[in-house]
Amino acid sequence: MKLAPQSIPYRALQKVAGVVVVLFFVVNDSEWGFPAAAGATGAVLLVAGAYEVAYYRRFEYELTEDTLDIRSGVISRREREIPYRRIQNVDVSRSVIQRAIGVAAVDLETAGGSSTEGSIRFVTPEEATRLQREVQRRKSAGSAADDGDAAGEDRGPVEEELFAISPRELALVGALSFDGRLIGLLAFAGSGSVPVVSGYLPDVSTLALSAVAVAAVGALFLVSWGIGAAVSFSNYYGFRLARAGDELRYERGLFRRYSGSIPTEKVQTLTVSDNPAKRALGYATLSIETAGYAPGQGGEYGSEAAIPIARSGRVYELAREIESFGDPSFRRPPRRIRWRYAFRYALLLAVLVGVAFAVDWYVAADIPWYAPAALLLAVPPAAHLKWKHRGYWLGEDHLVTRNGFWSRSVRIVPYYRIQNVIDSRSVFQRRWSVATVVADTAGTSSLTGSDAAAVDFDVEEAVDLQSELAGRLQEALRDRRSEVGSFEWFEGDGETDGEGDADAEAPDESPDIPDEGVVRSDFSASTRDYSEPAERVDTGGYAVDRFPSDADVAHRPDGEESSTDAVDDDGDGIDGGDDADGGSAEVGGDAAEDAADDSDGSGEAETDESQER
Amino acid sequence: MTTKRLHPRVRVVWVLRAVLAAAVLTAPVAGGFYFGYLPGWAPLVVGAILLALGVVHALLRYRRWSYEIREDALYLDRGVITQVRTTVPLVRIQHVDSRRGPVERGVGLASCVVYTAGSRGADVRIPGLTPDGASDLREELKRLAIRADGEDAV
Repeated sequence: MKLAPQSIPYRALQKVAGVVVVLFFVVNDSEWGFPAAAGATGAVLLVAGAYEVAYYRRFEYELTEDTLDIRSGVISRREREIPYRRIQNVDVSRSVIQRAIGVAAVDLETAGGSSTEGSIRFVTPEEATRLQREVQRRKSAGSAADDGDAAGEDRGPVEEELFAISPRELALVGALSFDGRLIGLLAFAGSGSVPVVSGYLPDVSTLALSAVAVAAVGALFLVSWGIGAAVSFSNYYGFRLARAGDELRYERGLFRRYSGSIPTEKVQTLTVSDNPAKRALGYATLSIETAGYAPGQGGEYGSEAAIPIARSGRVYELAREIESFGDPSFRRPPRRIRWRYAFRYALLLAVLVGVAFAVDWYVAADIPWYAPAALLLAVPPAAHLKWKHRGYWLGEDHLVTRNGFWSRSVRIVPYYRIQNVIDSRSVFQRRWSVATVVADTAGTSSLTGSDAAAVDFDVEEAVDLQSELAGRLQEALRDRRSEVGSFEWFEGDGETDGEGDADAEAPDESPDIPDEGVVRSDFSASTRDYSEPAERVDTGGYAVDRFPSDADVAHRPDGEESSTDAVDDDGDGIDGGDDADGGSAEVGGDAAEDAADDSDGSGEAETDESQER
Repeated sequence: MTTKRLHPRVRVVWVLRAVLAAAVLTAPVAGGFYFGYLPGWAPLVVGAILLALGVVHALLRYRRWSYEIREDALYLDRGVITQVRTTVPLVRIQHVDSRRGPVERGVGLASCVVYTAGSRGADVRIPGLTPDGASDLREELKRLAIRADGEDAV
């Protein structure tokens, strides 16, 4: 399929508009004057237009059975296939101009790479929506049952609205957002200029100086606040979140409209955050994180697919709808840790006083540099609050952590999303014999260091927590595997890269002999899974795969009884040990767990063996 | 399963690295001396302190480093100033590299890098292995990862 034709002039202008304007004025001012300027800009526009025509002619995308294929590139050509199952988010955005000429940009994110994997610029808005829906439909058709197509079609359009922002909430979002970037920028620019400025103001009285400073700071805050309010107002204008089948859809934006889809099965982390102002009013923010790149606007914010503000009760309700994590009751760090925070804050104050003193001394002004010391009174309550708002909770399927008393965030991580668990102890933490346990996920906001973390827990507890989390991950994986296994048994089609196919079909079909009276293995495309560990891996001289493992002994006879096909389906026909997963898919249920256990056991034994070498 | 340690020669690599870091950090001070802003002992003292710190850190680092392949996870314990213990479930391993940098080749060592889809601990490097050891470890981790049979990581 092609792009929208009106994207040609738009893309051309978008690329060269800046160059053209500059060029025009530069050449116009030179001795050749207007004709040359017009000629030059015309030439640039022509080249850009020609390139875009070529781009348009080359660009083609196609929705195939199980991949989205994109062929593109004028000079270096590229063909890309993105499996539907790997697509994390599909985002559509339309700026004001794009809306005026009727085009939309579609971005498809997968977990790989750092940039957007599939970027289609531009198609008509209808086509964009169709793409979004179609990708979802095909994805769920791929992972669901055979009759999934029909079901998917029925279910696809049914959209259940979860949340729509009310004008009141939108006003609140604006009022409560504060853009610190301006202050940061000015502070950065100003830090170098203090001595310079002070050189010009030797005679001004301290009073006037502080008055000006106070006024400036006040104005700065007001402006920052105004910017923050405007940005978030235009960002979240008309926000709504809906659920359609196994997918969440959001829409937002005043000038630039964003809409996107998030498959619920790809959700990595949920974060509920609030600050004292929001807490006082009873509101909170929910953000939903996937492994794709940040939907919407690049990496700055992590996930933009967030509910900007809603009653905290409602936020938790929504969060539970996405991940049913129950009712957390947090475990707090040991009480003694409050001393640590108190020391830390006191130290911070000391530094502040020191800086104030240095400024006072350097500028030779008579400002009350010891004023920050008054904040000492706030240290004990602050330390207590910090301690009070820390905690973690191990739910049935989720780890929930809570941190921060100013901007507090509660993170909900399903165990099976944990990638690795890190226990770290800084020098200072060791003094208090506490540790931080971080559960790392593939989500994007963890890039900014805001992973789910249980901070400052007793060393013993941290060690327990770490192994507990690793254990629960294994458990969760086992559960999911057997779930998938038993699911495939009946449905005959799998989401596990077709690995279940052969195994799952075997017991079903082998008893009845096909029409032609020959039982043959099924060589259709999806049955052979190349990721299956059946192939001989070169283990570099380890003896492991030369002998069949326990896992095989456990399931092989069973497989042979139930199906003549099973052996062939394995394809390799070799002794296996390789087949722990195939085994579990085949037998399903409890047996799967046994097999998995066995394979674990054997793995352990073999590693022992290999280490002795 | 036993906890394994790094090859003692890895200290050479780290000490060399510390020397290099000390040299780089001392360069501005030496420049200050060269242009006459600082007295002659300043670069020497700074260099000596940095070098001492770097070397001590390298030696302590070696003493701290250990790793262990457990039943279903790779477990690493390392870090001098901040001690870090990482559990990498074998199911989560995406791919494994063994690699040899120029300095490592010089002292006849290699390292093994384990990648997961996580963001913070996305790549975990086990340094100080013999070249054979590194490829054996890579193969073993690969085998164990395959055996552990992860479903889709993300």
